[in-house]
Amino acid sequence: MIRRTFLTTALTAALAAIAIPATAQDVLRIGVEGAYPPFSSTSSDGTLVGFDIDIAKALCAEIERECELVQQEWDGMIPALKAQKFDAIVASMSITEERKRQIDFTDKYYQTPARVVAPKDPDFEGTPEGLAGKRIGVQRGATHQCYAEKMFPDSEIVLYGSQDEVFRDLALGRVDAQLSDSLIAKEGFLDTNAGADYAFLGGDHLDIECYGEGVGIAVRQGEEELRDALSAAILAIRENGTYAEINDKYFEFDIYGGRPASE
Amino acid sequence: MDLILEYQSQLIDGTLMTIKLALTSLVIALVFGLLGAWAKLSSNRLARRLAGAYTTIVRGVPDLVLILLVFYGGQVTLNNIGVMTGLWGYVEVSQFAAGACTIGVIFGAYFTETFRGAIMAIPRGQIEAGISCGMPRSLIFRHIIWPQMVRYALPGFTNNWLVQLKTTALVSVIGLQDLVYNAFTAGRSTGMLFTFMAAAFVIYLMLTAISDVLLRALERYYSRGVVRAR
Repeated sequence: MIRRTFLTTALTAALAAIAIPATAQDVLRIGVEGAYPPFSSTSSDGTLVGFDIDIAKALCAEIERECELVQQEWDGMIPALKAQKFDAIVASMSITEERKRQIDFTDKYYQTPARVVAPKDPDFEGTPEGLAGKRIGVQRGATHQCYAEKMFPDSEIVLYGSQDEVFRDLALGRVDAQLSDSLIAKEGFLDTNAGADYAFLGGDHLDIECYGEGVGIAVRQGEEELRDALSAAILAIRENGTYAEINDKYFEFDIYGGRPASE
Repeated sequence: MDLILEYQSQLIDGTLMTIKLALTSLVIALVFGLLGAWAKLSSNRLARRLAGAYTTIVRGVPDLVLILLVFYGGQVTLNNIGVMTGLWGYVEVSQFAAGACTIGVIFGAYFTETFRGAIMAIPRGQIEAGISCGMPRSLIFRHIIWPQMVRYALPGFTNNWLVQLKTTALVSVIGLQDLVYNAFTAGRSTGMLFTFMAAAFVIYLMLTAISDVLLRALERYYSRGVVRAR
């Protein structure tokens, strides 16, 4: 009996030592990554900065909740949300069918559109007619390949294993144009030496069938109230100019990318 | 190099966290190791079985799996128990406690074997001599078993400790901001991942080199009175 009492005491003490009483209800805790610039990064003094961070803070102000940012490594993000380590994820997480089976998403808060990149001042336009017969480089896979085959049926679609190869062959002139995420094209190619003589051609390409619904805020399933409040807050900061202010700090164009997917 | 200086407070914080975590889990591992060795050598069948199950299970499962299981699984289980019994709503398992305990328990299993081997290396006759002199068990332990056990265990201990120090890097998965985590976020944030990984490399090497020196001194101390044949 003595031994059992000792064990119970020890267990209780251990539990008390590792368990901090709940503050889950009052403060909204938001999981962020801190290693994905320019959306989320850690500055040299350890503070978190970036588009995701500013959006998270703006949304908290909008729904009038006190927020705490919790830094979490990407791989553990969804498990930590499910284990109630935090209540929402603002970490540039794309809304996908696979993730939707485990967690819920708000409406998108951004969706960088896909755009065509071609040499500066080309003798063709970025339309399906203009690109007919041209060679367009895209990364193999569900997104850009799906869209290019659907949108440019008269062009020759050249498939690559990685986006870097697409950029390299465009610079070598092996393809006439390429289609990819506009932000990746800008930071990975147009802003580099290799991309100095190239520019975007035509406007944004958005397509739910091929590109999905964009990037949303993840919440646990069953937390409809929080999800809807955050979705409404995203639209509200779009309206009142807060979003544009944050957007312009980091990007030269609006990364929201057209109408929300739910409309 | 400028970047590393700029982010030095991050790296220092991370290094301190790694050291803190390694030392805390070492204490837990030593307790589990000594208890495990005692149980494995005891005449009690149940204790032997329990210790056998402990070392078999823990040594047979990848560390990362156990860490994730304890941290996330433990949290969910704890919450579910609370909801089922109505005793508590939500309790937070701290990352540090979860990380230190898991690593401690894992390495306790390795230390169990190290200590068991060390105790078995002590000639049985010495303990019998102690008993026949009428020494109490605590005295036998302090004067006969402990000093020799430490000497026999130190090489294995050094091995375990170095592996354990490096294993703390795994806890960055559960969000503890240790050296690897901070170096990684700094590297990703500045786009200079290689620079920061190189810095982490050097820091780890420094930590292991320092432990090596200290443990060598300890080995000399516990080997005093032992003359090596030349």
